[in-house]
Amino acid sequence: MEDGSEVVDQEMLGKVGRVTGTIAPGRLGEVMVAIRGGSEAFNAYASEPDETIGRGTRVVVVEYFPPRTVVVSPV
Amino acid sequence: MLTGLLTGFALAVVVAAVLVLVVLSILFRATWRVAEPNEALVISGLRQRHEGIEQSLGFKIVTGKGTLVVPGVQVVRKLSLDLRETDLQIDCVTHQGIPLRVRGVVIYKVGDDLVSIANAARRFLDQQNQMDQRVHNLFAGHLRAIIGNMTVEEMIRDREKLTGLTREHAGTEMEKLGLIVDSLQIQEIQDPTGYIENLALPHAAAVAREARIAKAVADQEATQKEQDSEALKAESRRASLIKQAGYQAEIDQAAALAKQAGPLSEATARQKVVVEETRVAELEADRAEKRLQTEVRKPADAKAYEQVTLARAQRESHISGAEARAREVELQAGADAARVKLAAAAEAERVKLAADANSAQTRMIGEAEGAATKARGLAEGEAVRARGMAEAEAIKARAEALAGNQDAVIGQELAQRWPEIVEAAAKPFGNIDQLIVLNGAQGISETLAQALSQGAAGLQLARGLLGGSNGEKPVPPAGEPDLKVEPKST
Repeated sequence: MEDGSEVVDQEMLGKVGRVTGTIAPGRLGEVMVAIRGGSEAFNAYASEPDETIGRGTRVVVVEYFPPRTVVVSPV
Repeated sequence: MLTGLLTGFALAVVVAAVLVLVVLSILFRATWRVAEPNEALVISGLRQRHEGIEQSLGFKIVTGKGTLVVPGVQVVRKLSLDLRETDLQIDCVTHQGIPLRVRGVVIYKVGDDLVSIANAARRFLDQQNQMDQRVHNLFAGHLRAIIGNMTVEEMIRDREKLTGLTREHAGTEMEKLGLIVDSLQIQEIQDPTGYIENLALPHAAAVAREARIAKAVADQEATQKEQDSEALKAESRRASLIKQAGYQAEIDQAAALAKQAGPLSEATARQKVVVEETRVAELEADRAEKRLQTEVRKPADAKAYEQVTLARAQRESHISGAEARAREVELQAGADAARVKLAAAAEAERVKLAADANSAQTRMIGEAEGAATKARGLAEGEAVRARGMAEAEAIKARAEALAGNQDAVIGQELAQRWPEIVEAAAKPFGNIDQLIVLNGAQGISETLAQALSQGAAGLQLARGLLGGSNGEKPVPPAGEPDLKVEPKST
């Protein structure tokens, strides 16, 4: 079980998810990502600080801050 | 013996094996622990060499699988990953400063990743029952802050903003506790100032106005239609009633006719019966009449005919006789009158002639001599006397003739139409079928001779009358047989 969290961290990067709460400057967005056999919601920031990503946009996880925060970029 | 030993040994082996198996299974049961899908096993104790964990507090987390636990050395604790919820009820103020009482519910759980489980395990492992209270206290402040950033309208309408603010305010703090917020729901907003109610009032009033207008218009239209329909209904009802009355009249008429039809046909039938009976009666009457005719009338007719014929013949004969007698009398009288008349006429002629001759003689004597007055007086006196006598006689004779006018006329006629008379006298004899003359066969010739000689007798009578200047009534010559024609009925 030593490798579990690292594996998870690596698994998170590059995953494609869907925006369920609008990501905007100064606001915390939300993305749903399929992981661990289910789908989980993560708090999300945009990779570009001034970027606004609307609901329903497909995004890719570029950075993961455990436990529940990711940085995403539109696909 | 040997087999007994072998058997005992085998039995011992089997028992030992069973015991070993039992012991092993008990050991396995005591050491092998399985994590349920909705729970995480937190194992602490012997040689925890985990790369990620080493920097942490050094415990092992197992999810979704089994693991071997050394009893006495290691300790296993369970952390539930189930969904939890906490009711919230707070008094707060909105962005516009409107006081509200909000009742909501927050739904959360322990995060599924190892970091979240580790955070949660460190905070709540012994206080899982108090987790709701902790979260309630935490979230009360967050919810107050969230509502303070929103207006009432946004709370009601903008779900996106509510969830976004919830995430912003509570997300990071919940991450610290290893929890994630699945949902925050506002269940009820109590509004002591009536803000929400007033918010709705203009719309409600407008809607109510529209509703009232629509209702009034609809009511008006409906009433109009209803009245139109009522009018049409009344009209059609009137038409229907009129038609019904007409049909009823026809029905009554037909019924009356039908009612009359019975008595009528009965009367007709009775009439026919009467007609037939009348015919029968007529036929019977005819039959009776015919019978009467054949039985009574025909014989009576024959008898009557016989009697009539007889009577007619008798009458004919009577009439013929009477006629003959009348004719005879007529002829007799005529002959008498004619004789008298002729005699008177002859006498008068003679007197006249004598007077004329005397007067002429006297005048001639008087003119020739004209002297002898005595003779002349005597002659004149004689002449006057004779003339007077003659005139008197003539007057008397004429008076008589007038008295027996018919006879005189007839006599005159007889003298003029003697041949016709004779023919007429002979005629009855031609008509009479059977002539019975009482004098016998001689009588016939006598009668005929008499009839024929009456002409001559008439002439003689006339001559006698002319000769007798004294005016004697001419008397028919005596001895002349009476002519009697006696018609006898056959």
